[in-house]
Amino acid sequence: MTVSASVGAGAIPHNTLIGVGLVGSLVGIYLTYLNVITGLQVFSFFGGIGAVLALVWGSNTIKTLCSYGIGTGVPSAGMLSFGSGVIAMLFATRYGVAAPIVGLVLAAIVGAILGYCANQIVNMKIPVMIQSITEMAAIGALTIMGYTAMAAGSFSMIPLMSASHLDAGYWATFIGASFIVVVFILGAMAIQHPFNATLGPSWQQDRMLYLAVECGFLSMIVIAVISFAFLSMNAALVSLVVSLAGWLYFYMEYIRLSKRDAAMWLDAKPIVEPEGH
Amino acid sequence: MENIVFGIGITAMAGALASVAGAAENVESDIGSQGDPNSQVQLAPQMGYIHRIFNKAIAGEPPAYGAWCAIGAGLAMGFIALQVNPILALILGCAITAFVQGVYATTAYLGRIASLAKFGQPVYIDILKSMTTVTMAHAFVAIFTTVSLCYLMNAALGHPFPLPLLGIVWGIALGAAGSATGNPFYGKERQYQNQKFGAGVPVAASGNIVRYAEAGQRNSLDNGWFSAKLGGPASGVCFGLIVFLELWRTVLFEPVGHGWGAIIVGVLLILVFTIIDRYIEVWARKTYGPYAKPAEVKT
Repeated sequence: MTVSASVGAGAIPHNTLIGVGLVGSLVGIYLTYLNVITGLQVFSFFGGIGAVLALVWGSNTIKTLCSYGIGTGVPSAGMLSFGSGVIAMLFATRYGVAAPIVGLVLAAIVGAILGYCANQIVNMKIPVMIQSITEMAAIGALTIMGYTAMAAGSFSMIPLMSASHLDAGYWATFIGASFIVVVFILGAMAIQHPFNATLGPSWQQDRMLYLAVECGFLSMIVIAVISFAFLSMNAALVSLVVSLAGWLYFYMEYIRLSKRDAAMWLDAKPIVEPEGH
Repeated sequence: MENIVFGIGITAMAGALASVAGAAENVESDIGSQGDPNSQVQLAPQMGYIHRIFNKAIAGEPPAYGAWCAIGAGLAMGFIALQVNPILALILGCAITAFVQGVYATTAYLGRIASLAKFGQPVYIDILKSMTTVTMAHAFVAIFTTVSLCYLMNAALGHPFPLPLLGIVWGIALGAAGSATGNPFYGKERQYQNQKFGAGVPVAASGNIVRYAEAGQRNSLDNGWFSAKLGGPASGVCFGLIVFLELWRTVLFEPVGHGWGAIIVGVLLILVFTIIDRYIEVWARKTYGPYAKPAEVKT
């Protein structure tokens, strides 16, 4: 396995993004607990906001790891992240209010073990491997928990396995109907896409981070539509409006940044041959 | 007996849906230069070959289609839970998924091309506008047919997996079929029509993809036309056979030996296909192989 250390640092240091992602996602997920305190369901969308902040952190972690040329594509890192995160998240839902913290710690442990295996047993010998996989497993668990709380209104196991609009019992609940698969894949696509889509010689950190937020809000739109099956009409509508507004703003911003960075911005023009060809 | 006839009918319909899904998936991914042909489209500007090909790098085809079909199935399941008619629910779920796919396609193209600014590759907005809509349409067909066959498995054949789980499993299978069967037509042949047939891609020709068309400059719609003719139908046959044979063995042989019948027939099918594959490979090498004797190669 070759190690090419071409890690170009962005303007925002990685540690700052860790702080924003970690604190932001935990605060976002815990704000959905207002649902339980107030008896309303309109606070569910905070889970999605928390997940978006975790994804912003995650996109920079993937950038840090994949700059080493890990020998597989960028998307595989996203799948690994959510595959290890979902185990921790599902286990943590047993612990009620403490679930986000338990999920975070447990995912970090799973990630550290996987990182150790990749570096020492598979012998990949990448300096940032253990830290990156630990971070990514934690991000996976937090993102899945955030989106789950947004869709079903709670991050505790009992509501996730019982509440539904359909009277079809377990098979129509969040876990029973496998909605968690949708959350898994939405998160895994959203964490790998920002770096996978913007990699190249003229990579810019701000453009990648805006894309991460855009991907997060796009996933929120899908989750908001699914939440109509679990939440009251008003709560689901609030989620949908917040998601659509956030997505639209960051999509337009991302296009603006792409225009800023592109060599040329042409409409229906022929191939511009470079000099010397 | 009636159960078996009903099961075979559903199997045939699922196989037909899968054939359409495979064809649409391959055309969609080739228009977007997704999968392994992407590396050359990404490399070309760095070697000095500016092009007007759509570069929609979302993920490999299997994860991408796993995602689209799981999202489509999940949304459909959500609508069904809201008491929406299942057929309408499938259509609504897949339409929203096509929108998600379109957004991912545009951000991938803009991102990759903007990051190639150093080599002077411009962003062609007309490419973005005309190709994205075409890939969204093909993606809708592929997602809708796949989610429909998952719904048939779940509702008509009584498959124990819920719809989103079937969606991700069959979506990954669809992407894998399209990637393995259809991509060589585009990535190994269409991109390198300017090289000697069967010569492979020498290092010197890396990134030197065909950029000019029969008339004017080639864009990805020309590649879609090519894929619709060869790679698409091949992928359709592949995915259709996978779905048909998988359901056929389950419907007919599951009652035999407490389910062991279906497993044994599955192993037999793998053996039969291994023999067919080997025969075709040997035959193709004997018939077309240009590497018989080194002396015959003129340098």
